[in-house]
Amino acid sequence: MIDGAGAREVPEKGSFRGMSDLPLVARQVRFEQLSFWLNPIGALMTIAFSVVFLILLGATAGTSTVSSYGHIKLIDYYVAGFCGYGVMAACFTILAITLVNRREMGLLKRLRLSPLPTWMAMAAILVNAMIVATLGVILLLVVGRLGYSVHGPAHWLPFIVTLIVAMLCYSALGLGMSTLVPNADAAGPMVSLTFFILVALSGLWFPIAPGSGLATFADYFPIRHLIDALVASFTGQPGTPLWPWRDLGVMAIWGVAGVFVGLRRWSWSPKRG
Amino acid sequence: MVQRSAGKGAAITVEHLSKSYGDTMAVRDVSFEVQQGEVFALLGPNGAGKTTTVEILEGFRPRSGGTVRTLGVDPADHSTQRWLRTRIGVVLQELAIEPYYSVRQVLTRNAGYYPNPRPIDEVIELIGLREKADERIKKLSGGQQRRLDVGLGIIGNPELLFLDEPTTGLDPAGRRDTWDLIQRLSSAGTTVLLTTHYMDEVEALAHRVAVLFGQEIVASGTPSSIGGRDLGAVTIRFRLPEGVALDELPIAVELAPDDHVVVHTEDELRVLHALTGWALDGGHALAGLSVLRESLEDVYLGLTRSEP
Repeated sequence: MIDGAGAREVPEKGSFRGMSDLPLVARQVRFEQLSFWLNPIGALMTIAFSVVFLILLGATAGTSTVSSYGHIKLIDYYVAGFCGYGVMAACFTILAITLVNRREMGLLKRLRLSPLPTWMAMAAILVNAMIVATLGVILLLVVGRLGYSVHGPAHWLPFIVTLIVAMLCYSALGLGMSTLVPNADAAGPMVSLTFFILVALSGLWFPIAPGSGLATFADYFPIRHLIDALVASFTGQPGTPLWPWRDLGVMAIWGVAGVFVGLRRWSWSPKRG
Repeated sequence: MVQRSAGKGAAITVEHLSKSYGDTMAVRDVSFEVQQGEVFALLGPNGAGKTTTVEILEGFRPRSGGTVRTLGVDPADHSTQRWLRTRIGVVLQELAIEPYYSVRQVLTRNAGYYPNPRPIDEVIELIGLREKADERIKKLSGGQQRRLDVGLGIIGNPELLFLDEPTTGLDPAGRRDTWDLIQRLSSAGTTVLLTTHYMDEVEALAHRVAVLFGQEIVASGTPSSIGGRDLGAVTIRFRLPEGVALDELPIAVELAPDDHVVVHTEDELRVLHALTGWALDGGHALAGLSVLRESLEDVYLGLTRSEP
């Protein structure tokens, strides 16, 4: 015998129930985390990629310095820079690909038809990406300290604030990017290509001389600002302000643009374009 | 626990519903009502507007015109959507399940969205996946995944269940198990709105059926009476008795290629009386005698073949 739920109730209004909703958000974050770690290869690729790059490049850095950053040690530059790379990988790349795949599999549609409010579902996805990014940053700092005796950050608070702004900015851009991808097959190539172009513009692989045409062009994009802000607070290089307001401002503008595009083009249904 | 009471008012009311995408009409002047505890089937060819209608009733898609009430509320009203979604269950046309969770994990997660979910083990039992409860979803067969999809539809203990082609991809045993589950849910008072392309499914499950064609409803009724099915012509067939010529029979007949005699009539009582009386009087056998009424599929094809 299958039992039912009883008589019809008076409809309750509203999709936000205040503090009583918070445990549901925390529960949803736990399931997002579970989903992430249940695919260990994907999880490893997300977190370990930047660590592997750091180990490889760190091994060749020696005592080199970066002249365009006030002759800071190259390994310090790499540790701070790859923290930015890790944030972007978790919050932009993985989030965009995840959203496209979920949309095309019909998972977003199912979610939309469940009682879980939209804001809660999106908050859980965002928090999950931020947790993954934070784990990556911690791992990079540990590898930097144990492997290369890098003692940073010099200024913890600006470093952490920069990371938080970057996580929000790149999550917003991941959201926007996901709406530009027409189908699941295109998600990997389109998002990865965008990611690597942005990383190339960041100066992480090869330093970009300040004042050059490429540097001017790269200044329009958020990745170089992220790297600059992280390097400045990580190394405490003389002559740079404690708070990188301009860099944070550019990232915030890009974040708003990402949200705008995401909301304008958002679809709960598969596009299958 | 309390069983829901069936037949106490409408679970769904649709009046003059229309939906257009630009200049293209997806649904035109559709009206119907689904009573509480009823299994209502919506039939129609691909592109007829079934899924659009269902999505409007679920509150997933806004309508262009008309009035809709789902469990007494307007599904497009955002202020009551969260409430409504705790009371409906949805099985989508296509599989939508994360591959890395286990069966139990995904059911547990979704159960947490509802105020009064069914026990996880009860759902696992109902969908016949007890042996696979801790198996990763990606390792399940397509049919097992489809059954889990149905399980996700009923985990919230819904008053109203939307089933969009729920048995597509299931083997015959899986289909029968799903039918059995739907019948048990219906018996307990759950209202079911079903879309399907399988006519036997409609005959086995639905109390009433409506056919959508050309974006509007062209017929509705019970599966046995829709389109005048209960009043239309029947076909009487039997093997021509040995040594009997066609013109010796008491009624006008046709000879089928398989040596059977065929009679099409709307007055089956008189024809059968004449025929069996003749056979008894003459000592003739009417081997393979059968009386066939137009099938639901015949009615459906008749309704959906011509231009509306």
